[in-house]
Amino acid sequence: MTAYLLNLAQLAAIFGLLAASLNVLVGYGGIFSVAHAVFFGFGAYAGAQIALNVAPDVLLVSAAGGLVAGVLSLALALPALRVRGEYFVVASLGLQMVATTAFTEAEPVTGGLGGLVGIPPPQLLGLSLASPWAFLAVCLAALFGGLAVMRLLMRGSFGRSLMALRDSESAAEAFGKNVALLKTLAVALGCAIAGVAGGLFALQMAFVNVESFTLDQSVLVLAMVIVGGAGTLAGPLVGTLLLLLLPAALSFLPGIPPTEIGAVQQAIYGLAMTLLMIFRPAGLAGRAQGKR
Amino acid sequence: MTPQAMTPPLAVRGLAKHFGGLAAVQGVDLDLPAGLITALVGPNGAGKTTLFNLITGALAPDAGDVLLDGARLGPTTPRQIARRGVARSFQDLRLFDHMSAGENVLAAIEPAAWFWQPGDAAARRAAAAAALADTGLTAAAGALAADLAYAERKFLSLARILATGARIWLLDEPASGLDPASRARFVALLRAAAGRGITVCLIEHNLDIVTELADRIVFLDQGRKLAEGAPEAILRDPALAAIYFGDRA
Repeated sequence: MTAYLLNLAQLAAIFGLLAASLNVLVGYGGIFSVAHAVFFGFGAYAGAQIALNVAPDVLLVSAAGGLVAGVLSLALALPALRVRGEYFVVASLGLQMVATTAFTEAEPVTGGLGGLVGIPPPQLLGLSLASPWAFLAVCLAALFGGLAVMRLLMRGSFGRSLMALRDSESAAEAFGKNVALLKTLAVALGCAIAGVAGGLFALQMAFVNVESFTLDQSVLVLAMVIVGGAGTLAGPLVGTLLLLLLPAALSFLPGIPPTEIGAVQQAIYGLAMTLLMIFRPAGLAGRAQGKR
Repeated sequence: MTPQAMTPPLAVRGLAKHFGGLAAVQGVDLDLPAGLITALVGPNGAGKTTLFNLITGALAPDAGDVLLDGARLGPTTPRQIARRGVARSFQDLRLFDHMSAGENVLAAIEPAAWFWQPGDAAARRAAAAAALADTGLTAAAGALAADLAYAERKFLSLARILATGARIWLLDEPASGLDPASRARFVALLRAAAGRGITVCLIEHNLDIVTELADRIVFLDQGRKLAEGAPEAILRDPALAAIYFGDRA
């Protein structure tokens, strides 16, 4: 049971970082991407390759993941500069579909459908992190380090510029803001942090394949941001805990036959999401309705 | 006066813009002298806002030039124009609704897109605080722009411009819907700005405000400049009044 909970806690920290990174795009920049799992995937594959071929060092693996995802984020920045709103959602959906196919087909790099297996246990500067407690500490350090960086940037002029852009692009431009550069930097920042989370994910799972980087995953991460509260610092974390832990908790529901548990779980889950969006449209950490 | 002093900070020559078959602005010449308040007046569809959009680079003209300090500007973007000291407001305000009033003003004076801003952050905060104080918004600085009352939102739109230190202000219906007390404060603010040498051009439908505030009126109709001059002369012209009040026959 402890092993299960530790595993869940590690995943919660990694997905918390992933959701927080998407919040830079969606919550602060108004860039509504449904392709965030792609950059999580870029980071995971890059990290896995480094771990397999160089060393499973946490710093090296997360740096490689962040770098690769940050550079490849241009694939998302380019459509973000040209189209807005629902048009960008569709463009990012296209990117997600292309990437899923590429992850499946690029066997020499991604291992294809079988994925990359046998990733060695993580290390930190030569010290073994094979103990789940040690790796949890690393995941939490990455999460809170990432949140601290995002807090610093989002509460500063960069965050203000990004929010200004989100609220009125034309007014932001009329006050001299470089919209193209701002969007490119926001996308690069969000995707690079997603890549760091991807590197940690590869080490955590000791195995990566395309199933972790599909549209389903992108939608789940987006839901974490929105349910928790887009554009708030704590929101993505709250959303991650809820969406990751609720299904786990629901599997312990008493009095339901094991064959039905999946369906009941889905129904409760769906109902909770719908009610939440009706009564707390700004998310759990967002402003309550009627407090205007 | 030296020739430089007489050159208007902002002028347009032969500016034209068509939208499909509609001629929104047709060959407009306009001088906006420093320290004067010029009101653009005319019925809906006269091309007033389109003129602002052409001057600020939000739209590209089909013909004609914008001149800053007498120099032809060429193709430009709203960002470049802003950096040359031209600030504008919008009829629909376009406040940064989910940011506080204080953040709205700060964001207006932080043009760098990098992760940091060059320059003096304390000076920017002081400029933002001063602009909020001048517009009577100090107490509302922490409130979300979306939560402000109507008049406060109008003043916040002006505070953003005030803080930029821009020398040319283009204001699109800045006083519409203000109560008399707010209107008096608004008039005093603009008068003070013009007194400091700022070039002010505003689009306004309320002729009482125009009379009270404007040094000159430029009358537009169907994309053409029909007349310009002192407010009394323009507003007394029966032909213009007929156009303005929709009584063309």
